[in-house]
Amino acid sequence: MKLLEVRNLRVHFALEGAAAELRAVDGVSLSLEAGHTLGVVGESGCGKSVTALAIMGLVPQPPGRIAGGEILFDGEDLLRQRPERLRELRGDRMAMIFQEPMSSLNPAFTVGEQIAEMILEHRKITKKDAKALAIEMLRQVRMPSPEKRYDDYPHRLSGGMRQRAMIAMALACRPKLLICDEPTTALDVTIQAQILELLRALREETGTAIILITHDLGVVAELADEVAVMYAGRIVERAPAARLFAEPQHPYTIGLLGSIPRLDRRRARLAAIQGQVPGSALRLDGCRFRARCPFAIERCHEDPLLMKLEEKHQAACWRAPL
Amino acid sequence: MLLRAENLVKHFPAGAGFFAGATGKVHAVDDVSFDIAAGETLALVGESGCGKSTVGRLALRLLEPTSGRVLLDGEDLQSLDAAALRQRRRTMQIIFQDPYGSLNPRMTVGQMLGEALRLHGLWPGKEPARIAALLRQVGLGEEHASRYPHEFSGGQRQRIGIARALAVEPKLVVCDEPVSALDVSIQAQVINLLQDLQGELGLAYLFIAHDLAVVRHIASRVAVMYLGKIVELATASELFERPRHPYTQALLSAIPVPEPGPRRSRALLQGDVPSPLAPPSGCRFRTRCPYARDLCSSKPPILEGGVACHFWREIAPPAPPAQRLMAVNERLTRLQAAFDS
Repeated sequence: MKLLEVRNLRVHFALEGAAAELRAVDGVSLSLEAGHTLGVVGESGCGKSVTALAIMGLVPQPPGRIAGGEILFDGEDLLRQRPERLRELRGDRMAMIFQEPMSSLNPAFTVGEQIAEMILEHRKITKKDAKALAIEMLRQVRMPSPEKRYDDYPHRLSGGMRQRAMIAMALACRPKLLICDEPTTALDVTIQAQILELLRALREETGTAIILITHDLGVVAELADEVAVMYAGRIVERAPAARLFAEPQHPYTIGLLGSIPRLDRRRARLAAIQGQVPGSALRLDGCRFRARCPFAIERCHEDPLLMKLEEKHQAACWRAPL
Repeated sequence: MLLRAENLVKHFPAGAGFFAGATGKVHAVDDVSFDIAAGETLALVGESGCGKSTVGRLALRLLEPTSGRVLLDGEDLQSLDAAALRQRRRTMQIIFQDPYGSLNPRMTVGQMLGEALRLHGLWPGKEPARIAALLRQVGLGEEHASRYPHEFSGGQRQRIGIARALAVEPKLVVCDEPVSALDVSIQAQVINLLQDLQGELGLAYLFIAHDLAVVRHIASRVAVMYLGKIVELATASELFERPRHPYTQALLSAIPVPEPGPRRSRALLQGDVPSPLAPPSGCRFRTRCPYARDLCSSKPPILEGGVACHFWREIAPPAPPAQRLMAVNERLTRLQAAFDS
């Protein structure tokens, strides 16, 4: 049974002074089984974060609007639920952590109070029990001296500790789905390693399914079972992680892998993808990558759909398999 | 030697509020020495707050050091008056992480480049031709001269920042996190451009970055900084293949490798970097070092033979990279070559 199934999701944004809308997410379908980790990679503006916000019911409307699609979570179609129902689900059965924990922690309350408050909102237990549970969560995210940290205000904590507090809050009600949006991007590399290790351990301990949104292919390789690559509002390739890195089929994935310098091998030159991601006004009909693609042919003026190449491996490219 | 930094120290007053006086000092840079030869790339790496950007500004004398000196072509920068310093500045330029913050929003790209030329009396009467050549050199077109910074994407703005640095024909460019704000595909374009320019113009780079994979790709030598001090300085191949300082080892093992599979065992560092307001006594890394002993808290190690650690000879080096190296994927290499034609 799928935990999450997103079908043909479309999220549009009104642009100031323009008649046309920005199609930030333009027909995205994805699915996730309980306990699995799906990595969603892509560059700025590809729609990966908006997809996550749509699943959480957090797209700001206006300027955004859900232009179509279905989001089935644990048997419920989230796009047809009332806002109160979504509020019940958020923090309880699904939760999200962000790049900058300071933006989601309230500076006026201690981290412990905020975790306890979140628990009280969703569980009928006493304040005393909620506090005990909050301390237990801080311990579970390997926060040193959790009883003391309970009374710390967010600004007293380092960036890594704040992210731990955020994860403790997100997992407090044992959600089935945890969405992590660039969870380590703002952190130094030694702290990033700690947080990735923690997420891996917590996934084992709790069985939470994870959607990991990131621009960093290294982070995806660390955690994801499956990967979806997004470009200009669409998923252009999806495959099990090992296969995506070993045998990528979409030219964008191939170019992206060639763009990153590697520690374990030195190359004379990086395979830079020419040009830049098309802005909203310049999005092409047909394949949106074709202007930057060295493999483009006449047929690329037609819209390529995600096509199955192998069991669980799909790419939206007329030239695939390359 | 093109540039030599000798025993640079920079302390900033801390806690200086409106009502309170300075209550301490931040030891931003403490006894840092290095040199850069013409045409080479020295990378300064380290995590936030290690002092690497401050070193870059001290090298250009954009900041005055608390003590120590910087020699450019053998000449002490501190001894120069303002006029002489301005003239020497031609030799050294800087590009920043956020080019938008360093470009005047009310000047066109052509005006900006023209101003740099006029300031130094370069190419008199031939400015437009020189500006066009500069723009082509960084992969932009002549037509971009009449546009304003906001009309460009992030990657193009970084190209403009590079063109402005090159306008005065420097020998050394300090690159302060030049690609960390850019998307991966754009980052690769700018890295390739910096490498091409170095080959064409014989530039030296002081390349300040936190991304070690980028540094491995571009640097000839690397200095690793931790809490204001250089803990290891070596050629790039030595440093990445045989890191000696325990901090360098931990830093390298912390980087995720874009290749799924069984995870390497990791020397995970515990805790956070201590405050530079009160750095630990002795070796500043000792509070997070798995090998620390009594001596490390009493005696600061000095940088000898490229490593500042009392016990580096006894510390087992990490598994040689040959064992970690994944097989090169020939199909992928062939397909990726198509992007570079």
